[in-house]
Amino acid sequence: MTDTLHTKLSCGLECAVQPLPDRHVVAFQIRVLGGTCGEPEAKLGLARIVTETLDKGTARHTGPELLDAFDSLGAHHRAGTGRETATFTCTVLPEHFEPAVALHAEMLRTPTFPADAFEVNVELARQELLALQDDPQGLVDKYLNAQAFGPVLGRHALGERDTLDRLTRDDVVEFWQTHFQAGRMLVAVAGAIEPQHALALLEEHFAGFGTAQQDARLPVAFGFGAETRHYPKDLEQEQLGLCWPGVAVTDPDFPVQQVTLGVLSGGMSARLFTEVREKQGLVYWVGAWQETPRGAGLIFLGASTRPERCDRTYATLLAEVDRLGKDLTEEELQRAITGLVAAQDTRGDTTRARCAELGSDLFYYGHPVSREKKLAWVRVVTRADVERYLAGHPRDRLSVVTLGPRALGAD
Amino acid sequence: MADNPYTLHRLANGLQIVIECMPDVRSVAVGFLVRTGSRDETPEVAGVSHFLEHMMFKGTARRTWRQITVDFDRLGSTYNAYTSAERTIYYGWVPHDLLEPQLELLADMMQSRLPPEEFDTEKNVVLEEIAMSKDQLEHVAMDFLQEQVFAGHPLAWPILGYDHTVGPLSRDGMDGYFRQRYAADNLTLIVTGNLNPTVVIDLADKYCGAWQPAGAPAERRLPALRQGTSVQQVERFKQQIVALACPSVGSADPLAETAGALATILGGENSRFYWNIIQTGISPRAGVFHLDYRDCGLLVLWGACQPENAERLLDAMRAEAAKISTEKVATHEVQRVKNIRRTGLAIEAEAPYHRFGQIVEDMECRGHPRTVNQMLADVDAVSADTIQQYLARCPIDRGGHLVSVGPRAWPAASNC
Repeated sequence: MTDTLHTKLSCGLECAVQPLPDRHVVAFQIRVLGGTCGEPEAKLGLARIVTETLDKGTARHTGPELLDAFDSLGAHHRAGTGRETATFTCTVLPEHFEPAVALHAEMLRTPTFPADAFEVNVELARQELLALQDDPQGLVDKYLNAQAFGPVLGRHALGERDTLDRLTRDDVVEFWQTHFQAGRMLVAVAGAIEPQHALALLEEHFAGFGTAQQDARLPVAFGFGAETRHYPKDLEQEQLGLCWPGVAVTDPDFPVQQVTLGVLSGGMSARLFTEVREKQGLVYWVGAWQETPRGAGLIFLGASTRPERCDRTYATLLAEVDRLGKDLTEEELQRAITGLVAAQDTRGDTTRARCAELGSDLFYYGHPVSREKKLAWVRVVTRADVERYLAGHPRDRLSVVTLGPRALGAD
Repeated sequence: MADNPYTLHRLANGLQIVIECMPDVRSVAVGFLVRTGSRDETPEVAGVSHFLEHMMFKGTARRTWRQITVDFDRLGSTYNAYTSAERTIYYGWVPHDLLEPQLELLADMMQSRLPPEEFDTEKNVVLEEIAMSKDQLEHVAMDFLQEQVFAGHPLAWPILGYDHTVGPLSRDGMDGYFRQRYAADNLTLIVTGNLNPTVVIDLADKYCGAWQPAGAPAERRLPALRQGTSVQQVERFKQQIVALACPSVGSADPLAETAGALATILGGENSRFYWNIIQTGISPRAGVFHLDYRDCGLLVLWGACQPENAERLLDAMRAEAAKISTEKVATHEVQRVKNIRRTGLAIEAEAPYHRFGQIVEDMECRGHPRTVNQMLADVDAVSADTIQQYLARCPIDRGGHLVSVGPRAWPAASNC
C-alpha cells in the first residue's frame, strides 16, 4: 500500500490514512482497545454500557445536542462493542471531515455519563437480554461463544442480568478512564482526504488525551472449550452451531483458512450449500465463517432445520468437513480463490470497505498491509496447502450447541 | 457530484433496458427486474412467486442447477435474488471485464426449465424458510399486520406463502404462472457500472432478443385498508410487539419522499421515538417506517417491549403521533434528515449494486430512473410544509390499525 501513510502521532494515536482522491466521501474508524475482555468478572455488560452512554452528554453538549451536531454534518456514524475493542465508525462528505473528527474527540474525551442516561441504558440492556430470547440465531451465538471461547473472550456484550444489576455509574467512569486514552486508540482513514491534513487534525483534537504510551497490544489467552450442549426451547426449527480451533489472522496459514472457508461456504456452489441445501433440501440457511480475536481463530459452522432433520443435517456438516481433506478439486480451489479476489473490485472497493480493511490491518498486524500482498497470499494457495491445513487443524475437538425442541441423537 | 449518464432502450420484444455508466468504479452490476410478486398471486397459490424465484436457480436447457452456481462463482460474482410483493429481482455484481458472462448467465436463468426432478427438494428448502420465519417475532408480527390490514387482498398473505399453500403447489401449476409473468415485456434489464452502453445493448439483443412477449399482465387491484385492533397471542415469545399502521401514500406519490422524511424524524436514529421512547426505558427497539407499494402504503409506528409495558409503549407512540400532528416540525429537524440522506446518496453512488437497487425502485415507482442529483433535488424539496401537507392527507393521530403480537392477549378482546 505505497500511498498509505502509517504513523504514531505524538499524542499516542496510531493512525493510517489511505487517500482515495476520486471519491466523494471520507470514512474513518476509531478503535479503542477496550472491549468486553476488559470488564471485571462481576461487571459483565459494562463495556457496552460505556459505549452506549458516551453520546448522552459531553462537557459542551447534551445528548440530543451532540447527535444533532452529528446530523448537521450528515454524518453516518456508528458505535459498537466487541471482545477487544470499542469501535466508532463515521462516513461524511469531505468538507465535514474536520468537524466530524472534532465531535468524536469531544465525545470520547469529555463524556459526562449523566446518571439518568446510565440508569436507562442499563435497563435497556436488561430488556435487550429478554429480546435475545426471541432471536434463536443470536442465542445460539451467545451460548456457543461462551462455551468455545471461555469466560473472558466468550463474553456477550449485553452481559448477564445479575452483572447488570451490579453496575454503577462509577464503574462506567472508571472503565472509560482506564481504556479511553490516545495510546490505546487505532485510527484508520480512507477517502478524499490529504493524509498530512488528516494526521494534523487528529493530533490537534487528541493531543493530551490520557497516556501516549502504547498499551493493550497483546492477545488475550483462552482455552478452547470442547463440549456438546443442548438448550431446550420451543421453536419451529432446531438451531445448530459448532466450532473448532483454526488459525489467527497473522498466521501464515490464514490465507489457506480463508480459501478453505471459501470452498466450504463461499458461494452457492460451495460444499455446504450444495450438499446440505441443494441436494438434500435440509435447510434454508447454512454457513461457515471464522471468528478471529488477536492471536487466535475459530472456524464456525451453523444451520437451522426442522427438529426431525437435525441429526442428518449435523452428520452432513461433519461429513463435508471430513471429505474436504480428501477430494478437493483444483477447479473448486480456483473458484474459492476467484471469489476472494473478485470481491476486492466489488463490495470491497467502497470507501467504507477500504477504511474497515485498513482498521483491521492496524488491529491485527500493527501496520497496513497492501491489498496486492494479501491477494498474492491468497492466489498461491494450493490443494496441498488446504490438505495440510485441515490435517493440522482437524475437527476432532468440537464445541457444539443445539437450541430447540430436540437434542442431537435424541432417538 | 457530477451525474453519470443513463441510457434507456427497448428491444423489439418489449424488454426494457436501463444502463447507467459509472466510469470511476471497477465493477458492474447486472440484473433483471421482473414485475411479479406475491401481489400477483391468487390465495390458493400464495408463495408461488417466491418459490419460483428459488426454482429459477435450478436449471435451464443449457445448464443444470450445479452449473448455474458454479458459473456464478467462477466469475467471483456477488449474486442473489429476492421477491417482494410487487417484484422479483435477480442480480450479479462482478469486476467490469466480466459483464458479458454475467449477463449471459442471468439471461439464461430467465429461461428456466423449472426442472421437475428438483421441485420437491426445493420445496423442502422453502418450507424450511417458512419454519425459520415463524421463529422470528418481528417476522411473525409483520406478517400478521399485513394479514389484518389488507384482509381480502393479495397484499394480506406473506411473500413466503403458507405451509398449506406451498405444500400442494405443483411444478406444472408454477410453469403456467412462470410463462405468464416472465415474458420479455414484463422484464427490465438494469446494468450499472463501468461499461459501454452500446456494448450492453448489443449483448442484451444477443442474449435476450429471441424472448417472446406475452402482452400486459392484469392490472393490480387497490386494497381497502381495514382499521381496528388485532391481537395475536403467541406464548413462546418473550416480548410484545405493538404496531400502529396508518394509511399512507404509495411509492409513486409525490409525497413519498416526505413520508420517508417524516418516518425518520419520528422514528429513525436520533429521532423523537429514540429520545422519548427508547431513551426513557419504555422499549429497547421502537421506530417508524414507510411501507410503500406502488399505489398505496402504510406508515407503521412500532416497538418491541416487555409485555407489561405494552400500554406505556402504545401511549408513548400515540403521544408522539399527536404532537407531530399538531405542532409543525422545526426546519432544523427536516434539515438534519436531508443532510443524512445526502451523505447516504454519496455513499451509495460508489457502488454499482446500490445504484442498481435505486434504479429498480425508480423504474417501479416512476417508470424512469433518476440520477443521483435528481434524487438529491427530490430530497431537497421536502420541507416542514410538505410534512404538514402529508399529515393533513394521511393523519397518524387517529384511525389506523393497532396490532399486538406476543405472549400477552392485549388489548382484551372486548376492546377489539
